[in-house]
Amino acid sequence: MSGAGLTVGRVPETNHEITLDSALTEEAVLSTYRRMFAALARDSGAVVDDPALVDIAETLFAAFAEAGEEWLTHEQMRHVCRAYPLDRFENRLRVLRGLGAIREVFPKPNQLRYRASFTSVVGLMFIRRMMDDGGQSEMHRLLALEDLNVADPATTMEEARTSAQNLSRAFRLWALELITLTGGTIEELREQAPKLWGTEEITRRAQSLHGTILNRWPDLDRTCTELRAAIYSYSDASRRAAGRLADSAGTTRNLTLLPAETWRTFAQTSGRERLASVLDGFVFDAPAPWHDPAAIVRAVDESPRPAPAQPNPPRSALPDPGPADTYDPGTGGLDHLTAVAEAALAGGSSARLEQLLTADGEWVSARRLLADLVAADLRPDSPYRLRWSDGLTADPAAEPAWLSHGSLERTGGAD
Amino acid sequence: MPTDPPPTAATEATGTADASDASDAFAMSDGSAAFGTAASVPERPDVAHVRARAGGPIRLGAGLPAPPGMARLGRGDGTGLALPVWPDGATPSLLEEYQVAPVAVERSGETRRVLAAALRCCWTDLASDPWPGVPAATDDVLSAYRALIGRDDDLMRNWAIGALRRLHDSAWLEVSGGHVRLGPRCASWPASSHAQLRELMRRLPSGAGERNGLAILPVTGDDDGDDGDGGGGGDGGGLGEPGGPEDAGSDPRGSGAEEGEAAASVTVPENMDEDLLGPFDERRRAEIVAAFMAVEHAAEPVHEARFPALREPAPRHTLARMLERRGRVLIHERETWTSGYADTVAGEAVPIPGEAERAVLVLVLVHSVAIPRADGLLPADSWLSPFPAQADELRRHTRLPIGELEAALRVLRHAGLVTQVKAGEEAGGYVPGPQFHRLTPQARRRLQEELILAAGPHTPLAAAVRAGRR
Repeated sequence: MSGAGLTVGRVPETNHEITLDSALTEEAVLSTYRRMFAALARDSGAVVDDPALVDIAETLFAAFAEAGEEWLTHEQMRHVCRAYPLDRFENRLRVLRGLGAIREVFPKPNQLRYRASFTSVVGLMFIRRMMDDGGQSEMHRLLALEDLNVADPATTMEEARTSAQNLSRAFRLWALELITLTGGTIEELREQAPKLWGTEEITRRAQSLHGTILNRWPDLDRTCTELRAAIYSYSDASRRAAGRLADSAGTTRNLTLLPAETWRTFAQTSGRERLASVLDGFVFDAPAPWHDPAAIVRAVDESPRPAPAQPNPPRSALPDPGPADTYDPGTGGLDHLTAVAEAALAGGSSARLEQLLTADGEWVSARRLLADLVAADLRPDSPYRLRWSDGLTADPAAEPAWLSHGSLERTGGAD
Repeated sequence: MPTDPPPTAATEATGTADASDASDAFAMSDGSAAFGTAASVPERPDVAHVRARAGGPIRLGAGLPAPPGMARLGRGDGTGLALPVWPDGATPSLLEEYQVAPVAVERSGETRRVLAAALRCCWTDLASDPWPGVPAATDDVLSAYRALIGRDDDLMRNWAIGALRRLHDSAWLEVSGGHVRLGPRCASWPASSHAQLRELMRRLPSGAGERNGLAILPVTGDDDGDDGDGGGGGDGGGLGEPGGPEDAGSDPRGSGAEEGEAAASVTVPENMDEDLLGPFDERRRAEIVAAFMAVEHAAEPVHEARFPALREPAPRHTLARMLERRGRVLIHERETWTSGYADTVAGEAVPIPGEAERAVLVLVLVHSVAIPRADGLLPADSWLSPFPAQADELRRHTRLPIGELEAALRVLRHAGLVTQVKAGEEAGGYVPGPQFHRLTPQARRRLQEELILAAGPHTPLAAAVRAGRR
């Protein structure tokens, strides 16, 4: 029953990953199995050592329920359990048959069809439920049933005595386990205690049961005293376990101790007052962000400005004749530039720029001429080029006052 | 009023958040009730400081002096406001020098631009200090803001209104009855920084010129009533500005207001920590003040490596004394420090925020801390959590009305009590905000106990909690 045995004995077909966590979970499951059947086991190795073995039984029972009066043959049973290895299946079937959980339909030799026992199925259901909450809800059910029983006029005093004795024994053992846990490590306590400790509800039910028995059969006061003591010791143990947890809890760890469902129910069903009351007496800061003057200036400067709305271009008040009828892209103003350049060259092949620009003595016309000549210079398809030299005339009285020297030339490639 | 889906992937620029924010324009919620709740000034200075931190500036009756360590902002009619001042003239801007993030400002750029626009309208006499300024019509502020950002659509208006509300909630502005006044926190700008603001005011457009030219938005004088009262009235509360009735004496529209403002004054107290800080030399003193500002105003706990005054016991002791005078204690976790309300004084403060906000905060705690804890997903023993409470879960599976829920979430977000986590278009939710760093260990434990008492009152654990308290 070691951890090694567990992993080695794993069913390869099931595609669970074998991790430390899953091994721990399995060990917890197995320990519950062992504890539940300790009373019935012949020797300490008699309980399954792999939770998968229980799954085989459950798979079989499900198949039997489905098969109905057709029963199941050996081959059919093997088929539904095909996920498990053959030797495991055979082993399980042998045990189940040996204990009578699966029996031949008719007790005669060479019987091929099998049926399942109702008792075993119910037992398995019970086991699964015990796994979930450690028996707390079973205790609820048990108490409810016992409550009904003792109220039944047909119940005898002896039956009531037995029932009271059973209950006090259960409560005592429960209390003892809790007390042991309370003295143990805090981790174990945190993990186990919520499964074991009784809520106020259980205590209340037990006390009401005790009251019913005592009222009806005053002679049982001795048994009832025992029951009462057991209930008290149980609720005391519950409180002590909870108290130890509450003391050691840190600041959020105990939230673990209520199941997630309880939290959800609380969140979903509570009204505003109930929710808000949790924070009664807590103080929080009022919103007080700091707006530094520099940050305000920065925010203004970084203001995302949308593209400014584009104003319509100004339109003439006169009627618009619409687009011109023709458009000749061929010249593109080249003839104008040619005319200007030719006029500047005045028939020669080159002309001094400083003379051309100062000819009119005013900047406005010189500027226009310069613009045209530069445009002609920049157009690859025009034959006129400007050649600048290093000369510079500076004359504050003249216009333009600063004048770079150079020449306009007609290049050979033209014409 | 249609309730917009919560802001999902909203960035600073897309405005879904504030579109919904502004949908209930100026329904100043209980969060703002925080502001000025302390009707009477508490006797003990530490309690007064706790109230001012938890509830905003304290209202002072006629002739009453401000508690020690607080500036008295006289309104000219005898009454006034008390606002805590920081030691040695420091401001939270100091945190920048230490590269420590201050408390985050929601939509900071927009908020500050709206504040600039309000300043532009309220601070008319640039020769004097900004506070108290003069009241300005909300529409004028909106126009100034429009002129500032060059946009005039509805979205911009919603954003601006959301920012106005946040500024109102944090006492930077007082918005009431269609008028805006500068809030008491504007008086906390140090005089040396006024020049910077003056310079800004001179170059900001006023927006007054364009008001008539813009017909797109019905932001005119006639519409005033609809804006303030109609919008607020739709939410049943009008302008839930708690100071409203108390302000009756200085109604901004009353003619008396101007005279009253003229005599307004700011009385800065003596340095209440001089006896503690005096023995230290300049450098030590500056370190202590820096540490003080850091633990009090940084968003998250600060690392002691950056603050010698936190590292060394002697200055730390002085720091603790300074905090103690304000009802605060140092909260230490490994190598980081922050401050929180002293357990002895916390009970004296008015419980804030309002009931709806507290209820929503509890829901967020249950979904983002308690449930992940119960499922074993949350290893650290902290009230902060990486698991958001899904907005959808809060909306659909609780008994709180959606409108109330959204309004409460907004207030909580603004106060740093919840942080919004965005994930994709629809997902995302809320986790407990940075304020949960500031809970003392006792308060954290008590919070756990209160949650257990509320959610599982009949469990043995609850019984143990009750027994432990007796």
